[in-house]
Amino acid sequence: MSTKPILSVPTEQLENTTFDATMEERILELLKRYPTTRATLIPVLWLCQERYGWLAPGVIRAVADRLGESPAYVEGVATFYTMFYTKPPAKFVLQACETLSCAVCGGKELLHHLESRLGIKPGEKTPDGVFQLVGVQCLGACGTAPVVQINDDYYENLTIERLDAVLDDLKGRS
Amino acid sequence: MPKLTIDGREVEVPPGTNLIEAARAAGVEVPYFCYHPYLSVVGQCRICMVEVVGQPRLAIACATPATDGMVVKSETSERTKEAREAVMEFLLANHPLDCPVCDQAGECLLQDHAATEQGGQFATHMVETRRTFPGYERRLIGPHVIQNQNRCIHCSRCIRFTREISETAALTYKSRGNSAYIDTFNGEPFTDPFSACAADVCPVGALTVRDFRFRKRAWKLRATPSVCPGCSIGCNLFLNHHERVVYRFTPRENPEINATWLCDHGRFLADSLNAQSYLHPHHRAAGQLSRVTWSEALRALGFDLKAAHTLRVVGSANLSNEELFLARELFVGHLKGEMVVPVWAGEHRRMKNGRGEWLRSTDAHPNSQGARRLGLRIVDPAGLSRFLYGAADLTIVLDPTAHPVLAEEEALQLLRVSPTVAFARTEHPIANVASWLLPTTSMACHDGTLTSSTGAVQRFSAAFEPPGDVRRTAHGGMSPTVPTLAQPYGPPAEARPLWFLLTVLARELGATTLDLPDVGSVFALMSGREKGFAGLDWDKLAGSGDDSFRERQHVG
Ligand code: SF4
Ligand code: FES
Ligand code: FES
Repeated sequence: MSTKPILSVPTEQLENTTFDATMEERILELLKRYPTTRATLIPVLWLCQERYGWLAPGVIRAVADRLGESPAYVEGVATFYTMFYTKPPAKFVLQACETLSCAVCGGKELLHHLESRLGIKPGEKTPDGVFQLVGVQCLGACGTAPVVQINDDYYENLTIERLDAVLDDLKGRS
Repeated sequence: MPKLTIDGREVEVPPGTNLIEAARAAGVEVPYFCYHPYLSVVGQCRICMVEVVGQPRLAIACATPATDGMVVKSETSERTKEAREAVMEFLLANHPLDCPVCDQAGECLLQDHAATEQGGQFATHMVETRRTFPGYERRLIGPHVIQNQNRCIHCSRCIRFTREISETAALTYKSRGNSAYIDTFNGEPFTDPFSACAADVCPVGALTVRDFRFRKRAWKLRATPSVCPGCSIGCNLFLNHHERVVYRFTPRENPEINATWLCDHGRFLADSLNAQSYLHPHHRAAGQLSRVTWSEALRALGFDLKAAHTLRVVGSANLSNEELFLARELFVGHLKGEMVVPVWAGEHRRMKNGRGEWLRSTDAHPNSQGARRLGLRIVDPAGLSRFLYGAADLTIVLDPTAHPVLAEEEALQLLRVSPTVAFARTEHPIANVASWLLPTTSMACHDGTLTSSTGAVQRFSAAFEPPGDVRRTAHGGMSPTVPTLAQPYGPPAEARPLWFLLTVLARELGATTLDLPDVGSVFALMSGREKGFAGLDWDKLAGSGDDSFRERQHVG
């Protein structure tokens, strides 16, 4: 599997975000699919996160302007969902499942291992900005527990050794 | 109309009335935190739960419309009591309980409910430490609002206010669940033109008004119904005062004009009522300004007025209807002088009424409409200049703050040409040119009415006596001018309300019909003579404010 790293555009470059033709086209596409403009907010935020890596204040303002909402409202929505990044994320966000099935299949140990190997706690980033650790609830893949989601990809039936190999690989490619 | 029974009391209410309002009509107080009569109903706090007989589950009174034949139990229901106690336990689990150092104490819905309904009795099952928001305990979020997120009960009233009323949608929840907090976009300053209303609607001390914080405990304040002096819209408010100091304005409910809101501009004029730059009457002779007594001043002024062939008067749309009426009758009717009222557009202001419609200001004065109704000549800056360029033996300026033009060098030069009588309260360059300087008082010291741009004649009441002693003496002058009050209330002064000075002048000039003992009598005379005020009754215009939302939210 080759998980793509998240490339977060620096805050300054996003200060006066405007949407280019491609983005605009995709937003128009989305607007057609939903009954109200407000309903398009979350898909548009996804689109932006995909494009810029995270939702910087400048991006939030651009989305608000585009959809006719107040920036505060959009920021409220963005901060409600943990999967929207309102701070620049690391290249690889390790989302370790903490729920029951994973927990009994070694998920706990995986998380502890990640903590000691990376020297960070859930919610933190490594100083080099490569890894970020998050504890998450059931990822809906209990059958292949324990599971760690890295960026958009699932890594299933993990053992400490396999996880180490994955991390080495990602680290090497970063 | 649905007829229902609440705690054994029968009541009939208009269709669509919710159970909180229906209960109030029946004389039963249902507690609430997130409900506000002028905001959308969200049913978030759950403290308003009542038992509707025949329904298995408790209902939230704020979101339940009254229906015919409903039997509701609030105070009389054990289940309700239990449920509310549980809600309070949750709300207080994370509340800092810092009432002694919280400026909302005394006007906090949470505190009121805790102290009254539950008699201060609480059980808690909490073993965890309270969740706190470090860095958000004393945070200035805008020019007028201070946030203490630890106290927030997540009612969303402030958010709904900015979304539904001020329409800036500047406030929002960030994050979620237990860690949700109130913030602006990217932490930018909360510069909503109605920002202090967000603190007003906050039922607890999570948002407080910076300008008032820790200046006076809420329970020390007395509330006198009044009207905002800030623009022509005429929002209703209370003067909150203690020991002759006005501490703040708070909104007074009026669905036709300001619902329960005040704009920041008007609200923060409160402190301006405390200014009293001129304390004693002064006369300028041979370039020398010297202090005189009121008797000397008014007697001499009476002579001057009689001697003047041409008299001109600069009125003011900041004065009450009664003051304008007296001035017109006396100076125009009796002395055949000329009078104008300058009107200044000022900044554009707006206000949302109880039906959600924006009202817009026509000018910066609280009573331009009253001046028009009295048939006075309204002038713009150019008209005022022309008026001042005309020759006169004597000029009277009833209020130097009537128009900014009066503070300009050109106007002052023109006023220097012949004697000028200036009635003034706050520091103004006119004091350097006036031959008579007669100190007046603020609207906090006298009664009167103002006509709003919507056409409503609205009464404001005296909150306290003017500085000094203004009782009349038997022989028609004024009592000895030595104030009897102790120093803490400010320097002894002899400032007098303008209406009062005008009635005394009327006596000096023999205009006996205008020599009236109180503002109510002036109003009666005016409503008898003026079409624009016909049929209005002084006593009925008095807003007691008892039924205002602000007040009623503190009833047990
Ligand atoms: S800050 Fe006040 S008004 Fe806003 S949600 Fe919290 S308690 Fe309610
Ligand atoms: S418990 Fe981990 S995926 Fe369901
Ligand atoms: S007042 Fe009814 S739920 Fe808050």
